Amino acid sequence: MATVTMTVNGEKRTASVPPETTLLKLLREELNLTGAKLGCDVGDCGACTVIVDGKSVNSCLMLAGQADGRDILTIEGLATVEHLHPIQQLFEEKGSLQCGFCGPGVIMSAKALLDENPDPSDYEIRDALAGNLCRCTGYTKMIEAIQAVAQAKNNPAARKSA
Amino acid sequence: MDTKTKNQKAVKDAPAATLESTAEMLRAPAAAPLVPMPLEVLVPEARQQTPAVRQRAQRPDCRLHGLGQTKYIDDMYLPGMLYAKIKRAGVASAKIISIDTSEAEAMPGVVAVITGKDVPCNTFGPSLKDQPVLADSRVFHAGDGVAAVAAITEQIAADAVEKIKVEYEILRPVVDPLESLQLETPGLHAPNPNIYGRKIIKKGDIEKGFAESDHIFEASFRTQMVEHVPLEPHASLATWDANGRVTIYSTLGRITLGRADVARTLAMPMSRVRIIATIVGGNFGGKNEITTEPVVALLAKKTGRPVKCTFTRPEEFISSTTRHPLIMDYKTGVTRQGRILARKIRLVLDGGAYCSWSETTLGKACILSAGPYNIDNLLAEAYVVYTNKTMTGAMRGFGAPQVCFAYESHMDDMAKALNIDPLEMRLRNVLEEGSLSPTSQKLHSVVIKESLIQAAERFGWNANGNGAAA
Amino acid sequence: MKAFEFVAAKDAQHAVALLAQHGPTSKVLAGGTDLLADLKFSSHAPPSVVVDISRAAGLNELKMTEEGLSIGALVTHTQIMQSPIMRDQFPALIEAAHTIGAVQTRNLGTLGGNLVTAVPSVDSGPTLVALDAIVTVLGPSGRRSMPLAEFFVGPRKTALRHDELLVEILIPKASVGKPTAFLKFGLRKGQALALVNVAGSFWVDWGKQAFVAPRVALGAVAPKVIHATSAEAYLDGRAISPEAMVEAGRLAAGDAKPITDFRASAEYRRDLIAVLTKRALEGAYELAKAKRAEQK
Repeated sequence: MATVTMTVNGEKRTASVPPETTLLKLLREELNLTGAKLGCDVGDCGACTVIVDGKSVNSCLMLAGQADGRDILTIEGLATVEHLHPIQQLFEEKGSLQCGFCGPGVIMSAKALLDENPDPSDYEIRDALAGNLCRCTGYTKMIEAIQAVAQAKNNPAARKSA
Repeated sequence: MDTKTKNQKAVKDAPAATLESTAEMLRAPAAAPLVPMPLEVLVPEARQQTPAVRQRAQRPDCRLHGLGQTKYIDDMYLPGMLYAKIKRAGVASAKIISIDTSEAEAMPGVVAVITGKDVPCNTFGPSLKDQPVLADSRVFHAGDGVAAVAAITEQIAADAVEKIKVEYEILRPVVDPLESLQLETPGLHAPNPNIYGRKIIKKGDIEKGFAESDHIFEASFRTQMVEHVPLEPHASLATWDANGRVTIYSTLGRITLGRADVARTLAMPMSRVRIIATIVGGNFGGKNEITTEPVVALLAKKTGRPVKCTFTRPEEFISSTTRHPLIMDYKTGVTRQGRILARKIRLVLDGGAYCSWSETTLGKACILSAGPYNIDNLLAEAYVVYTNKTMTGAMRGFGAPQVCFAYESHMDDMAKALNIDPLEMRLRNVLEEGSLSPTSQKLHSVVIKESLIQAAERFGWNANGNGAAA
Repeated sequence: MKAFEFVAAKDAQHAVALLAQHGPTSKVLAGGTDLLADLKFSSHAPPSVVVDISRAAGLNELKMTEEGLSIGALVTHTQIMQSPIMRDQFPALIEAAHTIGAVQTRNLGTLGGNLVTAVPSVDSGPTLVALDAIVTVLGPSGRRSMPLAEFFVGPRKTALRHDELLVEILIPKASVGKPTAFLKFGLRKGQALALVNVAGSFWVDWGKQAFVAPRVALGAVAPKVIHATSAEAYLDGRAISPEAMVEAGRLAAGDAKPITDFRASAEYRRDLIAVLTKRALEGAYELAKAKRAEQK
């Protein structure tokens, strides 16, 4: 068994899992954080995207052992009891999600983008989402929502509800 | 005291025994209040423009999606649950000589194994009941399931599936629908004929129409097999209660049909079958019929424990339904002004290994194959044939997208050859108020001409010099 | 995935010792974007041990040395894209890294891993080959180096012995700042396998307006990354002109040995090579001119 200790959404968590367990399975089955999804299991669809040490990664392509000692942020770590994260807020206002399965992955990719690049161009947003497949929406509303979050951050006075 | 401080104090003050659970609760992400639905329901006037148009619609489920709180089947867990995996044939056409599950059954962690023989009624289907739950004597495509395993982990189930030994007598697969169309090809699906569905629409007299035409154009079009690729793979979870009733949580869209098929395949009354359709991660038509439901129900019955089965992504491609490839042959007679006088169409639908939704697709494709045009003389013959390929079933459009590609490409080709503006070509032929459809239905609320003209104005069709054909 | 043991290597030496200890059934894990994807649906026996080098010390530095630009094998594609040295001296490597997968895979995937997997369409290969890159591997008996072009042996096959670890990719001093362009053609703009990869690289003799030390490297059109030798021979010392670039493209298409598969025909691939070679040479020339203007 591999025993790993990580910081997940700001809390120290420990799990003991077979060595071949992916970070995705660990999050979903050991920690009950089912926001990250299994869409393909080979790093193509991005539904498993989480943020590790500040970088978005496919959690299906990391082994539990590789996550030992690392800082992990999942979709469950964005909102608080009082507030939605701005990306979640804008996704809701713009109607960016339909079936919702790709949602957590897309939102984590968006967060990773905005953390590094607070004012992304349309191209940069598309590039950041290139690793997240969505079969329902065509991405348009997601891109609008991300642009709105960026604008609101950069110009808080102009922030109005949609 | 603000919430954060209050929570921190709660954690600090909690006695050691409850610390874990308190901390656990505090970790729980925001469960925001539900978005309130509008209290007034707008009832539209019959035959008037519905006031729903131009209204802003809200998707209340977006909140939970964004929080990652929506529970899909793979997020569901019942105590004692087992995981099932299905063994796929991997050969396109074969007789099954024997299946040896002994090594799989002996594996630690494997709780039950079933094959086609364990299925009380091993045929089902939305129209033709030609599909097995698990193939027991004959394999018709590589994605056919031949056995299923329930084990305490998904990996053990997958490992056990590899240990199941199946002996096949390989048969020559037929992959070309045109070959299957020939009656000389041995029956792929005996006793069902290769051509398992046909639809013919006859209107007027095409020979007369062709004789009166100034030009006759012929063209052949093909479309490819398309897979829905819903982000969420097919999944179901079955659990029995003490009264012999089974509850199946499923990604299935058509649950009344699914209920009937589960009742049929398990030879039990429908009143004992409950199917709960869950929030689905994309369907698009691919989740319109049962896949794993009878398997998990049988395994759950055999093991006495809930059983969950999810498709892997490769299984989505080989074992779930796809869009029918079509071979579409068009022959159209026109006047030199581009008025269509006669049209003859032959459609061959690649009907895959099993019927699934082919009859519906066949019907739609045939009825729509003439296009939205006034054609007095029409013969449309459509056939669907078996091939030893992935099942073809329902996918957004049900045959309409394929024929649309054909008849619109055909119109463009003819317009170019006749040196007529492609838009003008449509306007000269398109259905109008009171026109008769290919099946002689009188059509109302027809606004094609107005729409085309308005659209052309909006994107400057004539202004761009797209008026005259080259 | 099927069960295997997991052990984390502290550094390159430790990794090599672990590989020797566990024998040929052990496998190296860096970014996991190739290894884990392969293992997921494999019915082959799994590795007995996975030797994780993702946090092995000393393998993820990007630095300019006396010999040239040293790139540690664990440098990720994202690191390459964000490196100021790369931006200044090797924008083509940034371009190449950007064509790999998507953000998530680039954050995990390493240059070393990309080269060791050695698929014929390896995206980081052609630019490095065009720059005469040298790779260094560490084994039980020490280090050995060879040109990258020789490191690639065939489809998914390199000169790496089982108990060796790729540790460094060096772009020699003579190639530092060499004007280079890389173009990939895939069926999508992202997450696509290359139908064809081309890297073009040359110095300019401004006096004679001629190609100096030209290199044209092709990917996905042979069992491994190859030099388009007749194109290179043609360009060497020749006066720079649009016609010369077109001709080089034509020759490069002849040097290529593409196959026909469900993605494209050999004919189409040859056509792409001709066009992309010309464009890569044009791109490198633009870069050369821009650099010269900067220096004035």
